[in-house]
Amino acid sequence: MKLNRVFPFVMLVILLASMLAGCGSAATPEGSNPAGANTAPTEPPVAATESAVAPVGGTLIIAMNLDDVVTLDPAYAGETTNLFIHINTYDTLVDIRPEDLNTIVPRLAETWEVNADFTEFIFHLRKDAKFASGNPVTSADVVFSWNRLLNVAGAPAFNLDGVGKVEAVDDYTVKVSTTVGDDGTAQPLPQFLSSACNPSLGIQDSKLVKEHGGTDAADAATTDKAKEWLDQNSAGSGPFILTKWSPKADIELTANKNYWKGAPKFDKVVITHVSDPTTQLQMLEKGDADMIGSLQTDLVDQAKSNSELTITVDQSLDENYLAMTYVCPDVIKAADPAKFAELQSPDSFAILCKKEVRQAVAYAIDYQGITKAVLNGYGTRAPSIIPVGIIGVDPAKTQGRDLAKAKELLTAAGYPDGVTFDMYYASNATRDTVAAKIKNDLAEAGITLNLKPLEQSVYLTQMRAQQLPMAFGGWTPDYLDVTMWTDYFGLGDRSIAFRMRFANPDANALATTIRTTSDAVIRKDAVEKLQAVIMEEMPFTMLYQVQYVHAFRNDLKGFQFHPVWFVDLFELSK
Amino acid sequence: MSLIQNLIRRLLLMIPMAIGITLLLFVVTHIVPVNPLAVILTERSMDDPEAIHAATEKWGLDEPLPVQYLVYLKNLLQGDLGTSFKTKNPVASDLKDFLPATIELSICSFIFAILLGLPLGIISGYKSGSFVDQVTRIISLLGASMPPFWSGLLVLFVFYYKLGWAPGPGRINPRIGAPESVTGLFVFDSLLKGNMPAFWDSLHHLVLPSIILGWFTLALISRITRSSMLEVLSQDYIRTARAKGLAEKLVILKHALRNALIPLVTLVGLAFAGLMSGAIMTETIFSWPGIGRYAVESAANLDYPAITGTTLLIAIIYMLVNIFVDMLYTIIDPRIREG
Repeated sequence: MKLNRVFPFVMLVILLASMLAGCGSAATPEGSNPAGANTAPTEPPVAATESAVAPVGGTLIIAMNLDDVVTLDPAYAGETTNLFIHINTYDTLVDIRPEDLNTIVPRLAETWEVNADFTEFIFHLRKDAKFASGNPVTSADVVFSWNRLLNVAGAPAFNLDGVGKVEAVDDYTVKVSTTVGDDGTAQPLPQFLSSACNPSLGIQDSKLVKEHGGTDAADAATTDKAKEWLDQNSAGSGPFILTKWSPKADIELTANKNYWKGAPKFDKVVITHVSDPTTQLQMLEKGDADMIGSLQTDLVDQAKSNSELTITVDQSLDENYLAMTYVCPDVIKAADPAKFAELQSPDSFAILCKKEVRQAVAYAIDYQGITKAVLNGYGTRAPSIIPVGIIGVDPAKTQGRDLAKAKELLTAAGYPDGVTFDMYYASNATRDTVAAKIKNDLAEAGITLNLKPLEQSVYLTQMRAQQLPMAFGGWTPDYLDVTMWTDYFGLGDRSIAFRMRFANPDANALATTIRTTSDAVIRKDAVEKLQAVIMEEMPFTMLYQVQYVHAFRNDLKGFQFHPVWFVDLFELSK
Repeated sequence: MSLIQNLIRRLLLMIPMAIGITLLLFVVTHIVPVNPLAVILTERSMDDPEAIHAATEKWGLDEPLPVQYLVYLKNLLQGDLGTSFKTKNPVASDLKDFLPATIELSICSFIFAILLGLPLGIISGYKSGSFVDQVTRIISLLGASMPPFWSGLLVLFVFYYKLGWAPGPGRINPRIGAPESVTGLFVFDSLLKGNMPAFWDSLHHLVLPSIILGWFTLALISRITRSSMLEVLSQDYIRTARAKGLAEKLVILKHALRNALIPLVTLVGLAFAGLMSGAIMTETIFSWPGIGRYAVESAANLDYPAITGTTLLIAIIYMLVNIFVDMLYTIIDPRIREG
């Protein structure tokens, strides 16, 4: 009994003791380490004694948001950050460098040949490339990597859409043939070289991956067991080796000293997860990070006032657009009454399916105001679906705001006294701001916009089921061929064009030409015509194209932004 | 009924409760009018009917709901919480990755809250209206009213950015690196391995988030202790004790505190469980790779298996803490055991 009464107090004493031993004593050494860290890029006494774990001076630390990373297996990973990790741990056959986004250059492949109708691609591999494991890079590895990607059928498998067969001709020659269509002929795939630059198509060490349960067999989706290992390790020939990944904490890369281009300048790169942009900048200013993922635009002034930091403004290819339905509800009803019954706000469909209304919306929006409000001015705007920086774009054709014309168009559509419809969108801080701005802008033209914010998953479900009259989306490229945009916006049987019922025969024909022609002149002409069709029919109006601001410490050299995979760590040095 | 019998009975009762929770979760998550394929598949593969068909089959989404539930229960009995739609990992392994960070942070916050909250509460109760009482009132008020996403940013700005007294976000300095994993608790693991730099660094990193997370609990503990003390101090037996001429210290610590502690034990138990599930904001601000973030993201993505797994885990922690508190209660106050 006596013991029982004493028990809670004993517990309290244990808690006390552990506090003193633990959190309590933490205050002492911390107090003795004052702000001096500002001058010497933070090596507190603590870290200096730890030379065995961290090679001093050789570690690059990047603070960025890693929330999107769910796997690091190239056959499964379909998120943005993965592209950055994979380009630095795996080599692709060909590459597009940040200096010139319209030219494809060699990487693991020294040379390549493409036949006249873009149905056969032959790559000749360089013979001196070795994986980090020491195994040579051969055509068998290319065949394995791409077949595994196809057969696992994970998120990035789309990069091989249209590829029928990957074969090894000899040890250092790979032949890729495209799929055969219903008419018995091979389908042209002009964007293939460009998609082969995507980091997901990096080459894996087939011996190593097989040792860890990997397979490229047709049933790989269920029999491949290498994911768990590839989440924590890489099996590539790239400049760095993945040595650890702690979800939501950090990713650790170690230099591949035997890299065929030479040893990287840093022994180790730690990419540490920090979601708050202000904290990222604080870490950079204190020297706890050498570089951050990207600088939020409202922090640019603070960053610029620090002479120890270098700031760069880089053009991304990320488009943000407003989409409007193309088909009227009576047509939908006649074709499929069940689909009609599912429509959200059929009245809004009936209004927006009029071309003049869509054009009026496009003319009523104050695009410069949006760029200012959302991006603090760090943005630009393309005339239509193709972003600035890609072939076939003429920035002079960009149409801005014209309220008088918007009102005129509304009158022509039969709404001289104004009109009301609904806009559904997936709510978040940025989109809420943009939506409110659009609502205000349209009100000035006599359009009353009812905002209907939705939970992201609900929005995606309804939008993909063709149930929404308007959509508000973004499009980030996976590869830099123009089909990245013309397929998405132009082909009525898929993607946003399907979801907004943009089944326009001219647009469809032009997008198909771009998809199936290897002739550069015909392609460019079709790209220009397609943009003109879309600007006339106006199912999509581009809102803004983001510019990213990057910040790093002055002693870091070699930073060059790439719009698909961020930065090549091999080029960085101190 | 003996303590052991009671304990066994309570533990067995957890099973139907856990099943009830899974049923409730299953119904609630499936009522939401959303297609989980939107999470499982990417934007592009949503265009591919084959991919949609394959995914529907693979994740068992074509089965009727009761069948889906029974399959889930059957797997659960075998310790399989299912596979997350989003991470494509077994939920159990995801939880194993994220739980230690939260446990470490919760324990430290809890110690902070008790160590400061209890004495402050006692003094405030004993000398109500005094300077200490006023200060405690302010601290409690701030703790209860300042949201962690704000106070967290504030302390980071002041103690990390401006003064440089505390380390930045995260569990450990990336230049040092995490200690070899045994339990996943960095402080504990680094001690086990004798990795002193990692030990000190991970302790440093615990200070700010523990204070922020524990602040609310501290407010709770100090206020309840205060009112409980005030009530006890006005009781007859205290007057008797004082009349006997007992030393004031003895009266407070032995006669008053022990009785004042009873309501506190229940509260503290629940508060600890609350720390485990309430760490979401603190975890976000301090880049703490804990279970809170995982729970929020799985909810936002409608990742059924992850939602159910996380909720089930937190529910079980709550139930265990509840049982523990009840047991502790009977030890402190024998009348309850007999009643």
